[in-house]
Amino acid sequence: MSAIAKTASKAKRRPSARRRREVRRAYLVLLPFFIYIALWNLVPLLYGLYLGFTEYNALGSSPKWVGLANFQTFFSVPEYGALLWRQIWMGMLALLCNTVISFLLALALNVQSRVKGIFRTAIYVPNVSAVSATTAVFVALLNPLANQGLNKIITALGGTAVTWSYSQFWMVFWIVAYFVWQRVGPAAIIWLGGLQGIDPSLYEAAKVDGASFWQQVRYITIPGLKFIAMYILLTGIIGAMQMFDVVMFISKGNPFGLTDVLMYRIYRDGFINFNLGMAGAESLVLGVVTVLFALFYLWLQRRSEDE
Amino acid sequence: MKKPARAVTKAVWLVSMTAVSLLFAYPFLYSILGSLMLKADFGNMGTLLPIPQSVTFKNYGYVFSVDGGAAPLFNSLQRAAWYTLWTVAMSILCGYVLARYEFRGKKFFIFVIVAAQVVPSVLTLLPSYILVSRLPFLGGNNWMGQGGHGLINNKLMLFLPLGWGSLMWVFLFTQSMKSFPRAIEEAAEIDGCGFWRMMVRILLPLQGPIVAVIAINTALGNWNDWLTPFLYINNVADSTLTAWLATLTSNLQQFGDKDYPKVFALATMAVIPPFLIFLFFQKYIIQGIASAGVKG
Repeated sequence: MSAIAKTASKAKRRPSARRRREVRRAYLVLLPFFIYIALWNLVPLLYGLYLGFTEYNALGSSPKWVGLANFQTFFSVPEYGALLWRQIWMGMLALLCNTVISFLLALALNVQSRVKGIFRTAIYVPNVSAVSATTAVFVALLNPLANQGLNKIITALGGTAVTWSYSQFWMVFWIVAYFVWQRVGPAAIIWLGGLQGIDPSLYEAAKVDGASFWQQVRYITIPGLKFIAMYILLTGIIGAMQMFDVVMFISKGNPFGLTDVLMYRIYRDGFINFNLGMAGAESLVLGVVTVLFALFYLWLQRRSEDE
Repeated sequence: MKKPARAVTKAVWLVSMTAVSLLFAYPFLYSILGSLMLKADFGNMGTLLPIPQSVTFKNYGYVFSVDGGAAPLFNSLQRAAWYTLWTVAMSILCGYVLARYEFRGKKFFIFVIVAAQVVPSVLTLLPSYILVSRLPFLGGNNWMGQGGHGLINNKLMLFLPLGWGSLMWVFLFTQSMKSFPRAIEEAAEIDGCGFWRMMVRILLPLQGPIVAVIAINTALGNWNDWLTPFLYINNVADSTLTAWLATLTSNLQQFGDKDYPKVFALATMAVIPPFLIFLFFQKYIIQGIASAGVKG
């Protein structure tokens, strides 16, 4: 240990020629990567700020500056507000279910057992599988015909077949179910890491002092998981506010656009209808709302820490 | 008094966790069994799982056929391998420099890495697409970027884009250098080891576990990224397996004749490589999310 400390202090007194070489090498290594990444990310980000203020229909034409017109359309046509609101509540519902279920699974996995690994694999594998591959099964199961998919089982049990895509409730249900099935694994593993990171002697001490199970949860487990919860929710908010793949594959916004979300609309306006200026404005609104949600959540967290 | 209660708890735990696991595995079993059926049989089955009357591998013949899945499958492999190499190289080089060298602007680079993680991807999705279509001198474009289609529908789009999310791995490597003894580097330098040799001969092997975390998570992420090829490439032979599946899956919603077993065969093929990687390397995958969770 002292040898390392000594070499480290020696390293501070390096000759300046060597120091200069290191500075040069640092820029030579970092700049190409960072410039390349800026070209693919920062330039589009800045261009996106401009795009939302233009009228730009079809890739071949040129964008025309229209000022705030797209945003006026966005906030005066009720449909856009409905799409944004649906993105928020469907996303938050999915995130809430995912957070609660992943926590319960983490509690269930926080035991000593030889078969634990099998269960962990089972809940994690959906997350390493492509969304475009696994949604195909859900689509097959939700076939509206009475002799297909889940309806086959329902009719065999004496029920009547459900035309899933005609019901907003069922479509939201399956979108959330798929979301949880696909994303619960990592969240559960992160919770589990948090649970195992809590010092067991705290529980021992609490037991000695006569704390009940719920008091232990309230005063040891929950405070110990604060940062973990913050990470899960923060990344979850950013993800849920941009959820559209699940909607696109499972419901296509059906019935009658009642499960349509803003992100899916951005995809259709931008990549299918080439209404690029409007899609740009929608992107900006959704991006800003997402960041605001994340900041609001951070603020709540900070405030509860101060108390 | 206490022992039977514990045995009951354990039994309840085992049964309920088995049920949960079966529920999670059900879509995979459905996909595998469905892929072994003929199209006609799939429409007439009467069971909870699509149990084939007679097993057929016809659909897998299609997955590996030249006019079927062979090209996208190969593209998927190439793409995952390319991004893995690229990200590992970037993480080691930039991560090392940021951890060990002192230079002006270091804080700025680290700020960029952290800030990039919270920018919602919706803000760059469409602008990137437009800019790629407007790249000058490419795909029939003139110097103003007009007249052609840029790199849209060009196979290069499988390999060129680099999202700033990948910078997270640079950060992870920088963090891991904190617990790496400087004495090793000093000793290597005394023996005349240069910068590049140090990267390849010392850091790559000795930082093996963290490199594995980066490599495996990058490979999985790119294999499963259906969106980029789906948006930029319109031609099955130049696309990837998961992107092609996105087209097929979204077509399942439309009216008309649907060949579920064929889609399931492709889907099963798309799931097998990540599944095998998970089975053998789950330690690294879990370490990846765990470290991202603690440090992100």
